[in-house]
Amino acid sequence: MRSALHIVTMSLLFVALALVPATAGWAQVKPELSVALSSFSTEVLDPVLGGHIVKYYLSPMFDYLVGTTPEGQPSRDGGIAMRWENSTDHKRWTFHLRKGVKFHNGDEVTSEDVKFSLQRAMGKRSTTGYAGPLRTLIQDIETPAPDRVVIVTKEPTLIIPTYLSRTLSTEGMVLPKKYIEANGDDAFARKPVGSGPYKFVEQVTGSHIKLAAVDNHWRIGVPRFKIMTFRLVSEETTRIALLRRGEVDVADVSRERVAELEKEGYPVHFRKEEAILSMYWVLPRDGQPTADKRVREAMNLAVDRAEIAQAIFAGKADPASIPLGLSWSFRDIGFKVTPEMVYPYDPARAKKLLADAGFAGGFSQEVYAFQLPGLPEGKAFAEAVSGYWQKIGIKTKIVPLDYPGFRKIWVDRKAPGAVGYYNIANRDWIGAYALLEKMAYTPSKANDTVGDPEIDGMIAQVMRQTDRDKINALMRNIFTRLRSEHYGVPVVYLHSPYATSKTLGKWNPGSVMYDLFFDQLASGK
Amino acid sequence: MIRFILSRVFQSLVALAILSVVVFILARATGDPLHLILPMSASEEDYAYARRYLGLDRPYVEQYFSFVGKAVTGDFGTSLRARRPVSELIRERLPNSLRLALFAMCVSLSFAFPLGVLAAVNKGTWIDRTAQVIAVLGQSLPTFWVAIVLVEFVAGRLQWLPAGGISGFASYILPGFTLGWFVVAGMMRLLRSGMLEVLDSEYVKLARVKGVVERRVVWLHALKNALIPVVTFAGIYFAILVTTAIVVETVFAWPGLGRLAYEGISSRDFPVIQAVVLTTAAIVAVVNLGVDLLYAVIDPRIRHAR
Repeated sequence: MRSALHIVTMSLLFVALALVPATAGWAQVKPELSVALSSFSTEVLDPVLGGHIVKYYLSPMFDYLVGTTPEGQPSRDGGIAMRWENSTDHKRWTFHLRKGVKFHNGDEVTSEDVKFSLQRAMGKRSTTGYAGPLRTLIQDIETPAPDRVVIVTKEPTLIIPTYLSRTLSTEGMVLPKKYIEANGDDAFARKPVGSGPYKFVEQVTGSHIKLAAVDNHWRIGVPRFKIMTFRLVSEETTRIALLRRGEVDVADVSRERVAELEKEGYPVHFRKEEAILSMYWVLPRDGQPTADKRVREAMNLAVDRAEIAQAIFAGKADPASIPLGLSWSFRDIGFKVTPEMVYPYDPARAKKLLADAGFAGGFSQEVYAFQLPGLPEGKAFAEAVSGYWQKIGIKTKIVPLDYPGFRKIWVDRKAPGAVGYYNIANRDWIGAYALLEKMAYTPSKANDTVGDPEIDGMIAQVMRQTDRDKINALMRNIFTRLRSEHYGVPVVYLHSPYATSKTLGKWNPGSVMYDLFFDQLASGK
Repeated sequence: MIRFILSRVFQSLVALAILSVVVFILARATGDPLHLILPMSASEEDYAYARRYLGLDRPYVEQYFSFVGKAVTGDFGTSLRARRPVSELIRERLPNSLRLALFAMCVSLSFAFPLGVLAAVNKGTWIDRTAQVIAVLGQSLPTFWVAIVLVEFVAGRLQWLPAGGISGFASYILPGFTLGWFVVAGMMRLLRSGMLEVLDSEYVKLARVKGVVERRVVWLHALKNALIPVVTFAGIYFAILVTTAIVVETVFAWPGLGRLAYEGISSRDFPVIQAVVLTTAAIVAVVNLGVDLLYAVIDPRIRHAR
């Protein structure tokens, strides 16, 4: 009997001892991070030729020339460039590169790779968001040493480092010159080679992208996850089921499912004010009721933003007041939304303004209704706003169409005065400037939604200005005028929820456009 | 017989040719894909360059003949969205769709057979009525609803089976059941009516008179003859399962042909839309041809009548 007890005790002790290190090890290094996303954008793994907007799965694979903190501030610790300086005339920007950084195929990252990458991003085949402005801006790229790159601009400018940082699109990603030249664009897109903390393993289009951690990386140390898998799961019910089953660690979810998930104990991380949902009129404005500033103001006052935020976006949105007002840029330029700028819900005053403008009996207004990526509430939103406008006498007509169809009408200016909308991704001041240059600048022709010579003049000055304080003042003035002239109907800032597994721990998805900083989540530092 | 086969092959080729024109025109009627590919800041020159680079600046007639000329060699061009050869994407996705359809077919047959036979044998009883209800439910419950309910409860709440993606046998069960469920009703009804007809035939009565055990009469003698229309119908259903699984593939994150079609349509990816439509049409045509041939083999009267 004593012998049997001894054997049992020893066995239990042995099992316990065997389990302790295993459990502790599991807690420290979970082997895989699995992320379920509703959209991968184009699924092309070439950052330049992919028609990309999202960077979720590219940022862990590639390094940027200029790093960024999750809050969007330039960081000397997060990019290939350890430091940079400009000439006194602000036309030569010298970047000093980190030594000893290697691509996943073993080639060292040099200034030639940076030059090649930038030239490729500015090339005619490039589909990156800011290829056009960079072409206009950059005159030459010099490589005086393997660890030094000099970018020469045509005009004095302050914005080169930001353009090549993680803040914006993919232009700043450093690609392997030798590998691409030896294997071609197609081979690179199929088997991309970067220098980031995760290297490419496998892609099954329509299904997943799998990455594997390097042993140790200067950006994040020893990665916490050996494998990072991005799964494309369009249906939200499926993403949530995967999360509940523990098959994924992170999933983007809709605002209306947040309460339910939080009740079940799943942490939900928000990207606060990830986008501004703004309505705008198709130009030209001549001959349209909205040519009158009072009409534009009336249409703003007629909308109950708080009710829309609550009823349509489950309270996960906040009223917006500044047309094209990308709020992440406000902190950079020192812009404050004053109480006077906030649009009250005032249908009585809206009606009076319409009457003063000669439209007491209302007028016909086409409202295009469509779904947008990340905005399943699109049509309901358009219908709600349309309803508010009807209450003040405007005879709205909902026109159902898909977004590309509306975009063609918008850029071809085929329906002057018609209303469309977009959930514009929030961004820092340079991103906001780049957006204003597209949507509020007459020379941008097709995309312009503002058509104001005074704003055109200020936007033109920003690019040439080299005094940051003056840039900030110009930007503040642009936003102030956009608001005072009511160039659009800003409705709400949308908060985007991401649910995570109960054991994932802390994660800061940051406030950088189309980036979720999964590499930071994997950081072993 | 050879004349019959050649005639059916010719008809299928004509149908594919007509379809190629229709899909070519309809794909382009949806709008300009460059609006989705190029950034908002793209200039008119950028659009012109991309149009030239992608061959979209050529006259439609030229584009069509270029597309058809290459398609007959299996080259469907390059996807505008994925920037990969479309034939490669089809090769990647088609086996997933075929496997899922095969699994779904097995599911539907394993339900339809016993239900159909039992309903016929027990005509007018509660078993028959229950089978009828199952048939009605199978055809009336929308596939997307069944799919979401299964994902939410069986995968998400009960956590019995995987919710999506391909990860071994278990991952086939929910999408396979959802897809196959719709087919169960049709197959069961077909089998029931076939069985009722056969059970009333002279040779079955003779078997009973000779004292053959009822179970043997039903499951061997009667079922064998009642199966002919079901087997041929199953072929057509199989083609339908391969080609119409868009909803099921989307809900269950299944990388098949249906999702490729959805992605192609939503991004106006002409080469993908054209290739998927023609591939699925070819599958349907081949299966129909196979079914026709099978009919002709089984029943010589059909062969001679044509």
